Amino acid sequence: METALDIKSLDVRYGPVRAVRGIDLMVPMAGITALLGANGAGKTSTVMAITGVVPVTSGTVSIFGRDMTAAAPDAIIRAGVAISPEGRRIFASLTVEENLILAGSAAGAPETAAALRVSLMERFPILGERRRQLAGLLSGGEQQMLAVARALMSEPRLLLMDEPSLGLAPQMVDAVFAIIEELRNEGISILLVEQNAALALEVADHAVVLANGEVAAAGAPANLTGEDILKSAYLAA
Amino acid sequence: MDLLLQQIINALSLGGIYAMLALGLAIVFSIVRLINFAHGEIMTFGGYGIFLAMAFGFPPLAALTVGIGAALMMALAMERAAFRAMRGADVVSLLITSFAVSEILKVLFQNGISARPVPISFPASWSGTYQLAGMNIGVAPTVSILVTLTSLSLLTLVLRRTSIGMAMRAAAEDFEMLRMLGVRANRVVAVSFAVSGLLAGVAAVIWTAQRGSVDPVMGFFPVLKAFIATVLGGLGSLSGAVAGGFVVGLLEVLTQAFLPDGVSPYRDAIVLGAVIAILLVRPDGLLPAGDGSRS
Amino acid sequence: MKTKSILMASAIAALAGTAPADEYIIGVMSAQSGYLAPYDGPAYAGFQFCIDEMNANGGLNGTTPVKLIVKDTRSDIAMGVQVVQEMIDDGAEFIVSSADADPTIAAAQITAADMIPTMTFAGTAPVLTQVGPHVFGSYPADNQQAAVLAVYAREQGFENVWLVKSPDSAYTLGGPEYFGTAFSTLGGNVVGESNYSLNQPDFSAIVTTIQGAETAPDLIVTWAWEPDFPAFIRALRGAGLDTQVMGGDVLDTPTVRGLGDVVSGVIHTSGGYPDEGSAYADFVDRFKAATGTEPDNNYYVNGCDIAHMIEQAVAAAGTTDPAAVSEAMAGLENGQAVMSNFTFAGTDRMPLRDVVVARISASGEKEFILRQPADLAILPAP
Repeated sequence: METALDIKSLDVRYGPVRAVRGIDLMVPMAGITALLGANGAGKTSTVMAITGVVPVTSGTVSIFGRDMTAAAPDAIIRAGVAISPEGRRIFASLTVEENLILAGSAAGAPETAAALRVSLMERFPILGERRRQLAGLLSGGEQQMLAVARALMSEPRLLLMDEPSLGLAPQMVDAVFAIIEELRNEGISILLVEQNAALALEVADHAVVLANGEVAAAGAPANLTGEDILKSAYLAA
Repeated sequence: MDLLLQQIINALSLGGIYAMLALGLAIVFSIVRLINFAHGEIMTFGGYGIFLAMAFGFPPLAALTVGIGAALMMALAMERAAFRAMRGADVVSLLITSFAVSEILKVLFQNGISARPVPISFPASWSGTYQLAGMNIGVAPTVSILVTLTSLSLLTLVLRRTSIGMAMRAAAEDFEMLRMLGVRANRVVAVSFAVSGLLAGVAAVIWTAQRGSVDPVMGFFPVLKAFIATVLGGLGSLSGAVAGGFVVGLLEVLTQAFLPDGVSPYRDAIVLGAVIAILLVRPDGLLPAGDGSRS
Repeated sequence: MKTKSILMASAIAALAGTAPADEYIIGVMSAQSGYLAPYDGPAYAGFQFCIDEMNANGGLNGTTPVKLIVKDTRSDIAMGVQVVQEMIDDGAEFIVSSADADPTIAAAQITAADMIPTMTFAGTAPVLTQVGPHVFGSYPADNQQAAVLAVYAREQGFENVWLVKSPDSAYTLGGPEYFGTAFSTLGGNVVGESNYSLNQPDFSAIVTTIQGAETAPDLIVTWAWEPDFPAFIRALRGAGLDTQVMGGDVLDTPTVRGLGDVVSGVIHTSGGYPDEGSAYADFVDRFKAATGTEPDNNYYVNGCDIAHMIEQAVAAAGTTDPAAVSEAMAGLENGQAVMSNFTFAGTDRMPLRDVVVARISASGEKEFILRQPADLAILPAP
C-alpha cells in the first residue's frame, strides 16, 4: 500500500542535542496520524525535518513514495506537502489576503491561485470579511484558520498540522477539528501533532507517541487509549 | 524663517541619503540577520563606477547609471562570494565576515585605484539654484530629495504590490516560515541584496554629485550614520530605518546650523546623545520590527 | 631590550659586511594607507629620488652615503611612535616624519631624548616645532602661507572674510585663524566663522548659514582638504553663492583641479611653482624620466628638498652627531633647495620660504599669480 508519508529511523540533531532518536512514522493515504507526546518529546523537530528547514541527521523521509530526505523545502512543498506550523506563524504585517497570495505564488499557477483564494475565503468566511486587515490583528482562532487556509493554497496532498488547538477557545477548537475531518474526507493525508491527546485520538486513524525523542508507543487509537504508556509519556517532561 | 526652511531642505536631502542606506541595511538584516558592515564599500564601488565611466567618456547621466549598476553588481557579488557560505551562521560570525569583506575592498580600492580622492566633475548646470516663493533653493538638494522620494516610493510599491515584495516583507518577519511555504531562499536573499545594492547605488550617485570626489573610505561615514539610523528606527524594521535616517539627518543639520560655534566640536556627541535619549524612551526604536525576530 | 636591538643591528650590519662606518642612517615614517598616504607617498618618492641621486655621487656632500630605513605607519599615531622607536633602535640618526603635525609631534617626543633631528615631510602647523629644538618643518608654515594670502586678498580689495575651519586638526584650524589675524591686521573684517568636522557628510547647513549672514562676505577662506573641500565647494556653488574662495596649499592637487566648473577661480597658496627653466622644472623632468610618474604636486619636490636640507645641515655641522646636526640645521640661512630656498636662522625652526599664490583656471589649470616671502611684520604668532 502506498503511504503519504513514511519515515524510517529518523534522527535530528541540533549540535550535540539529539532531539529525535531513530523514530519510525507513517501517514496512510487519506488518513490522519496523530503524533503525541509531551513538550520537548521531538514532535516539532520531526515536523520541521519533514519540511526540510531542519536537516535530517540520519534516516529516510519518503513522501508519496519518493525519497525526499535531503530535498530543499521548496522541492518538498512542490511534492505536495504543506504545513500549518506550531504558533501559526502567520505574517502579521501582511494582510490576510497577502498571506494567501504569497502562499499561492510560491506553489501554484497564478490563475488557479486566484480561484483557490476565492474558494478558501468562502470556506473560511471570516477570512473573506477581513481580507484587507493586517493578519496580526486577527484573533487566535482566526489566525489558526488563516494558517490552515494558507497551507491549503498550495493544494497539498499531505498536510502537517502542528498544535492547531493550542491556545484556542473551546468552540474554536471544535471548529478546527471539524475542518481537519473535512479535509481528510476530501482525501488529504494529515499528520496531526497535538498535546490534547484525547481530541486527537478521536479523529486519528493511527497514533504515535513520542517520549524523549523516541517512539514510546504506536498503533490504532483504540489500542492506545487508556494505556499507561500514554500517561507516562505525558508525565515524562 | 527662510533660513529654517532652507535648513529643513538640507536636512531632508541628507536624511534621504541616510534613509536609503539604512533601508538597504535593514532589508538585508531583517532577512539574513546580517549587519553588513561592508555596505559602505558597495556605495564606494558605485562611486568608482561613476568615476570610471566618466573617465571612459560616458556622458554624465549614463555614468550615473553605470554607478548604480556597479553598486548592484557589488552587492550581488558580495552575497554570492562571502555571505551565502555563511548563511545561518550567528550574528557575530556574520558581522565579522562583513568586517573582513569591508577591509579587503578598502585595500583593493586604495591599491587598485588610488589612495587619494579622485575627482568627479559634473556639469555646472547641476549645481545651480532656482527661486521658489522668494527663496533661493539649490538644484542639488532638490534633486536629491526627489530622487530619494521616488526611490522610496518605487520600493514601497514593489514591496506592497508584487509577490517578490510580499515575500521580502514576509521574509523580514519570519524567513523560515516563508521557506516552509515553498519560496526559494536564495532568490529572496539575492533580491534583498540587489535592492540594498540599488539603494546604495542611488545614494552613491547623490553623494558623489554633491561632493565631487570619491575615495576609498567614502562610504564609511554615511553608512556609520545609517547604522545609527537603523538602530534608532528599530533594528530590522524597514519603515523604522527610513524614519531613523531622516531623524539622524535632521539632527545633524540642525545642530550644525543652530548650535553656537563653541559647542560645535561636540556636535556628533550631541546627535548621538539625542539618539540615546530617544532609545531610552523607546528601547525598541521608533518603529520596532514587531515580533518578527523569531529565529 | 634596546641594547639587545642595537647589538642585533650591529651583528646584522657586521654580517652583511657592506655598511661603511661613515654611513648616515635616516629613518622615514611613511604612511602607505590611511589619510596621510596621499601626502606621505609623493613626499617619500621625491625624498628617495634625491637621496638616490646623492648616493650615486658618493652620498651627502659627495662623502657620506645614506642608508634609508622606511616603515609604514598606516596613518596611525601609535603605530608611528612604535616604528620611530624601532628605527632609532636600528641606528637612525635622523627621522623624517609623516606629513602632518600630530604624528610629527608624537615622533618628536621619542627622538627628544637623543636630540635626533626630526623633520616633517609636509606638516605646516607652526606649533609642531614647539616640542623641542630638534624638530623642524620643511614646508612654508601655515602662518606664512596665510600672511602672504592675506596680503594678496587685501591688495585685491577684499573687505569681509568668512572663515570655514575644523578644530579636528591643527592645519584646518590654524590656517583660517592665521589668515583672519593677518587680514584684520591689514584692515579687513572677519564677518563670520563656521566649524566643520573632518569627513563631515554634508556642508549645506554651513552654506545656508553663510547665505543668511548679516554682512555678506566677499571672501571665504578655508584650509579644508579632500574630500571635505570638494564637498564644501560643490555645496557652496550649488546654493548659488559665487563668493571668492581662497584656501591653503592642500588645494594644490589634481583632484581639486579636476572638480570642474565649481573650482574655477579658486585661489590657493602653494609651496612652489615649476616655472620654465627653474630648478623645479628640471626636477620634474628628471623625476619623470627616471620613474615614469609625473610629480603633479609639491610634496614630491619638497621631499627632495628635505634631502638637500639634511645635506646642508650635515655639511654645516661637520659631523653626523644628531645634536650637532640639529643645531646646524637651526642655524642655516638662505639654504639652496629645488622648490625654493630656505632659512631656519631666526625662525622657530619652521623654515622661512617663498609662498606662491596660484589660481585654478576655468580649464582646471594652475595659474601662477605671485611668489613672495611672508612679511614678518604681519606674520601671526603660532
